[in-house]
Amino acid sequence: MRTSRAVMLAAAALALLAVAAGTGRAEDPVKIGFSASKTGLFANASVTQTNGYDLWAEQVNAAGGLSVAGVKRPVQLISYDDQSNPSMAAEIYEKLITSDKVDLLFSPFGTPNHFSVVPILERYKFPMVGSSAASVRLRELKPGNIWFPTSAFPDRMADVIAQLLQAQNYKTAAILTVQLPFSLELKKFLLPALDKAGIKVLTTADYPADIKDMTPTLTAIKEAAPDAVIGLTFPADSVLYMQQAREIGITAPFQMLSVGPTYAFFQNRFGANANGIVMMGQWSPHQKDWPKAKPFFDAYVAKFHERPEYFDSALAYMSAEITAQAVGRAGLDHDKLRQDISIQTFDTINGPVRFQGVENVTTPTMLMQIQDGEAQIVWPKETASAPFKPKGAWAN
Amino acid sequence: MTMSSVLSLQLLIAALVLGTLYALIALGLNLIYGTMRLLNVAHGEVVMLGGYIAYGMATQFGLNTAYALIPSMLCAALLGLAAYEFVFRPLLKKEQLLARVEANSLIIFFGVAIALQNIAALAFTASPKSYRYLDRVVTIGHASIAEYRLFALGVAGAACIGCMLFFRFSRTGLAIRALLQQRAAAALVGIEADRINRVVFALGFAMAGLAGCLVSLSEPISPFGGFPFTISALVVIILGGLGNLLGSLLGGLILGAVEVYGVALTSSNWRSIIVYSVFVVMLLWRPQGLFSRGAA
Repeated sequence: MRTSRAVMLAAAALALLAVAAGTGRAEDPVKIGFSASKTGLFANASVTQTNGYDLWAEQVNAAGGLSVAGVKRPVQLISYDDQSNPSMAAEIYEKLITSDKVDLLFSPFGTPNHFSVVPILERYKFPMVGSSAASVRLRELKPGNIWFPTSAFPDRMADVIAQLLQAQNYKTAAILTVQLPFSLELKKFLLPALDKAGIKVLTTADYPADIKDMTPTLTAIKEAAPDAVIGLTFPADSVLYMQQAREIGITAPFQMLSVGPTYAFFQNRFGANANGIVMMGQWSPHQKDWPKAKPFFDAYVAKFHERPEYFDSALAYMSAEITAQAVGRAGLDHDKLRQDISIQTFDTINGPVRFQGVENVTTPTMLMQIQDGEAQIVWPKETASAPFKPKGAWAN
Repeated sequence: MTMSSVLSLQLLIAALVLGTLYALIALGLNLIYGTMRLLNVAHGEVVMLGGYIAYGMATQFGLNTAYALIPSMLCAALLGLAAYEFVFRPLLKKEQLLARVEANSLIIFFGVAIALQNIAALAFTASPKSYRYLDRVVTIGHASIAEYRLFALGVAGAACIGCMLFFRFSRTGLAIRALLQQRAAAALVGIEADRINRVVFALGFAMAGLAGCLVSLSEPISPFGGFPFTISALVVIILGGLGNLLGSLLGGLILGAVEVYGVALTSSNWRSIIVYSVFVVMLLWRPQGLFSRGAA
């Protein structure tokens, strides 16, 4: 009697253990690693990307977890600060793969970090969907372990700017360029594109990123009186342009600031004066053909109390969506994942996305314009959420 | 750009606004360095702190920047006093540390800078913050200028002049100048260094906080945005002379003018080249600064 009771107890304990182990395996979190530029040069911008990942993870966990080939598991994000230092980003990804043994990777912030992480992906044959990187040099990367959802490749962006100006029958332009890699690359492609479109460039000015006053440069542009002022800017200098172009009274009907107006602070700072400003586009909550776009916008605002950044937050969230959909079908096996991402079409907040090589070949390269405080897609016509409007007078 | 544009009031005001702000930012740094030989590389972070207080008051309480001037100066001054009481006073008391105080201060302030950056990032997140105040453009002669820039010019100008009057006429101000000129002799004639040090820390930090309020009117504020202000302030006090308060005021105005007119006469490509060439030439030609006699 005593023996059988002990046996029964042991059996019960074993059964409990088995159940615990079983559920334990199903509930083991899927570990997803990435580096974030929490300090240093990119810190101000990187947070909008990290927010995109955090929102995605929160939503997935609230919905019962990430489907790994049909089995739902919670997700756990593991991130380290790369101090905006690309070589540190590479070390972090190596650590994530070899020491933290993450199941999946999300991408780091910005083009330089992406470039420095790709060799690590190649070494460990670890597939990762990129996000906030844009350069024609991305196409030179070996396809297979990295994909870029961005549509803002500088050569195509240059063509799109020239097309919109041509469609509006604008004949002359001035170009302002901040001396940073992306802007300079865009300028390199923009000059021949404008020339081909018959648009005369009256004046160009390059300036360093730490510029504190643009009065002389903008006075020269006002004297030249072009139809279009094309600012190949970053956020800090886009602010300077807005303030001083208004003081000096630049009245060109087309005024573009390539990067800056989509940051949440921009609208707070400039209100009605931001209306009419054109910028590069990737994503907008107002595009009705992308049913997931507005819910993403609303969820982001609810969680972070400010608007998402229309490139980095959107690209980060998209890259997570793409990764998740691939994992849902292929599980966590790297070969199967690689295969899935390379051939499938993904349903994202940016509409359908499909890759050829490293490049997203479905999302068109777009321009947006602030209209009544909202960023509307105005070009190309097929994707536009509103027609382009010439910039009106500055409000006072 | 035409010659009449180069000579325009528009450019003159732009140079004055920029120069006065540089002068104000440099003043606090120079004050602490000049009297105590402590190089506050967290100065730019104190500027950001002032900016956050102005931003917080504008967005949380609907109070405009004019109301934020005093609170931001007070908060920054309290931070300065705390830094003095808890860090530098003990440091200055130990004789074996006194010889290395200049180098040590650099490292300590560097730590303070990182702490302030991360506190700001925790409190406000890293995304840049901005708001609007006095955002109308007014016309003066042929120049058009936003009101907030005139406001910044007025406040920064008044603060600089106020400080100079304080150093010229008040007992404490005179004692600070005595310390600036002859630290050992000042003690001999009965100037109580400890009390003066407190005033110097409070005033130096307060001016940075005030400058932050004014900066927040034109630039987005972010936790890691302070360092460039420290650099500009260093350039200014090298121009004007380390420890020379009037010199650094003039240095600020000169840097503003070099930046605006340098670009007007060449092109914006040349901005950083011109600014830092002036800096290097000054270090080689007059290491004591434009307005100081003898060696620094």
